[in-house]
Amino acid sequence: MAELTISSDAAGEKLYLLGNEAIARGAIEAGVQVAAAYPGTPSTEILETLAKVAKTFGIYVEWSVNEKVAFEVALAASVCGLRALASMKHVGVNVAHDPLMTASYIGAKGGLVLLSADDPWAWSSQNEQDNRYIAEQGYIPVLEPSSVQEAKDMMVDAFRLSEEFKQLFMVRSVTRIGHGRSDVVLGEISKERRKGVFEKDRSWLVYTPTEARKNRVLMIERFERIKKAVDTLSYNQLELVDGARLGIIACGLSYSYALEAIKWLGLESKVSVLKIGTPHPLPGKLVKKLLGSVEKVLVVEELEPFVENHVKAIAGEDNIRVKIHGKDLIPLVGELSTRKVTEAIARLTKSKAPVNFGELDKIAQEVALILPSRPPTLCPGCPHRASQYAMKTAGRRVARELGEDVEPIYPGDIGCYTLSYCPPIESMDIDICMGAGFGIANGLAHVVDVPVIAQIGDSTFFHAGIPAMINAVFNKAKITMVILDNRATAMTGFQPHPGTGYTAMGEKTVAINPEDIARACGIKFVEVLDPFDLKKAIDTFERAIKFEEPAVVVSRSPCAVIAVRERKEAGEEIGACFIEQDKCNSRCEACIKLLGCPAIVKEDGKAVIDNSLCIGCGICAQICPYKAILVR
Amino acid sequence: MSELLGSAAVKDGLKVRGSEVLGMAVRGGSVVSTVRIGKEVYGPLIPMGKCGVLVGMEPAEALRNIAYLSKSGLVILNTKKIIPYTVSLGQSEYPSLEKIIEQLGRVARKVIAIDASQIAEGAGSPLSANIAMLGAVFGTERLPVKVETIKGTIRARFSAKLAPVNLKAFDLGYQKCQQALR
Repeated sequence: MAELTISSDAAGEKLYLLGNEAIARGAIEAGVQVAAAYPGTPSTEILETLAKVAKTFGIYVEWSVNEKVAFEVALAASVCGLRALASMKHVGVNVAHDPLMTASYIGAKGGLVLLSADDPWAWSSQNEQDNRYIAEQGYIPVLEPSSVQEAKDMMVDAFRLSEEFKQLFMVRSVTRIGHGRSDVVLGEISKERRKGVFEKDRSWLVYTPTEARKNRVLMIERFERIKKAVDTLSYNQLELVDGARLGIIACGLSYSYALEAIKWLGLESKVSVLKIGTPHPLPGKLVKKLLGSVEKVLVVEELEPFVENHVKAIAGEDNIRVKIHGKDLIPLVGELSTRKVTEAIARLTKSKAPVNFGELDKIAQEVALILPSRPPTLCPGCPHRASQYAMKTAGRRVARELGEDVEPIYPGDIGCYTLSYCPPIESMDIDICMGAGFGIANGLAHVVDVPVIAQIGDSTFFHAGIPAMINAVFNKAKITMVILDNRATAMTGFQPHPGTGYTAMGEKTVAINPEDIARACGIKFVEVLDPFDLKKAIDTFERAIKFEEPAVVVSRSPCAVIAVRERKEAGEEIGACFIEQDKCNSRCEACIKLLGCPAIVKEDGKAVIDNSLCIGCGICAQICPYKAILVR
Repeated sequence: MSELLGSAAVKDGLKVRGSEVLGMAVRGGSVVSTVRIGKEVYGPLIPMGKCGVLVGMEPAEALRNIAYLSKSGLVILNTKKIIPYTVSLGQSEYPSLEKIIEQLGRVARKVIAIDASQIAEGAGSPLSANIAMLGAVFGTERLPVKVETIKGTIRARFSAKLAPVNLKAFDLGYQKCQQALR
């Protein structure tokens, strides 16, 4: 028998899937015909999975330039009657927020699902925002899975419900769902393929004030119908235990932690549990039933007290006298765990946890004292390291000419190069969100009188950097804008973008060059450099920083991971650097202290290069004052 | 490695939950992957004090996660150190292997130290160190997954050229662990 895969039409069979693969499988089973996204952890693998099987199932899949466009692509497909998915990380939904808030007035024709991948503990993000609030703002119903299996099943139902209620739905995943794994029972794959038809009807598609007022009423009516329906949806489940004094309401993945905690504490016969699969709107009848049967309630959910506040509102409306706990016992910050939920329930029930967490904490704290810290860092041979070194050297030189106290400011952006904020490079002073580096630089230019040198990656430039670049020309912000062009969306796993020349489905397309855009915007200083030609790079950066108007430097060299892969595929040997110990002054440590390359380590007081890591980029050889490093 | 294990467990009809860390942390940072196998499984994360086998692909990283280990738990330790750049910069120190093993012994029932890179080279490819470690995990005889099933999964997943190398690395890792436990 052939190995089962994500595209096997084998209902009832089991596969071990990544949560994001399961979400993609759910969309396939639902007969999705259009999927669009912008890469972002922890959502990326959803579209990657769909892109791989796009041709098999006749799905149109694209990496859009940003989340706003991705959502609009999906919305258009829905308006034309097709089932469509837009997937993005939580902060990506902010970028799509504008169309989203009016799309909910439109509703949906073909099933329309927005997959929001939230990131409690901000494992790979700039914040911990809880997108259930965004959904609430737009009357968008939310399905929140408690397991990887449920994530797949909910996708199928989200498309169905979206069509049934003519409203767009949000499925809220979290890092431990999307990057969780589980055995998943496959379902049937829908064979239905619809033809997109755009029926002109301005009454629900053109948003002037008149239409907005009218459609807002219709949206609220749709939401009221959904509110009534969720009580009987199988994702919401109430298990009442006779005589239970404590009720637990657990939303999404927290349900799995709560179940394990209850078992650990041996409270199965003493606690009633309400599992919430639709935090918005809540199953009101089930909530009331639980509230009326117990003395106290604990709401278990990750991040904000979203369910908790709604449960309190329901209790208040019906005057149900019950003590409702939530964020007074469950942490507001970070992701939950069986331990955290166990501790909260143990406090409420005055029971004892089966593991001595205090003792383990003590051991963990003690061993942490003898362990080295291991923060993420730029890879050996990464072109960003060379770019940062050249940019900072040039910045320092120009600043010195301007005065003793002058220090350039380096606004940054989102991508691998964000890691250059770490020692020893430290070339990022402020970093907020996609595209903010150039925007912040615009503001700084008008309030400080030191050089402002902003950097952005190629994919991020296309995503959100261009308007701020135009703004710099328009409003005469004298800033240096550095575009770090490594020909990939590297941080999320090398997805294609408008500069790469191919699409998500592997088709060839026009490769757009950032320097052409810069010139077209009226930037008078536009130069492209190779960061590994250090001397020339420093000189170019210096001239850009000194230029009396906005300047653009494109630092272009392929991502080291891709470069190595391509060289291996072509049968080329990967080079490496060597330190000639008789020439090396081991006290100087310039290579270590200026570059922070993980391949250069100290062994017995000597600097040596780990050949299993080095790829021979040669930057260390260029900066070594003793010329002690050779590239082979 | 955890994905191979999980897939094999599913083939044996077991319930499996796991988690991975992807994205920014992968760039040279600490990463943890979990696999939970059994008849009754809950969330993807292993609670503190409940891990049966802690597989340290790097010594310091094994010790960093000691609090997850149960009192009856085993540690399979790859002895190959990867020195973080903070050590080269003089910001932190890397403890000796002996110290790490001693500290792991505060919780672990036994620490099985293995030079997986050397085993992998002996098998024919330095890249099969992970598979050697997987073999060692099976060598504990604590997994409910059949050895034949995981071998079948390895055979299916690698090319005809790489499968034998990986199967050899698996066997060598398995034997190393068995010797250490004897």
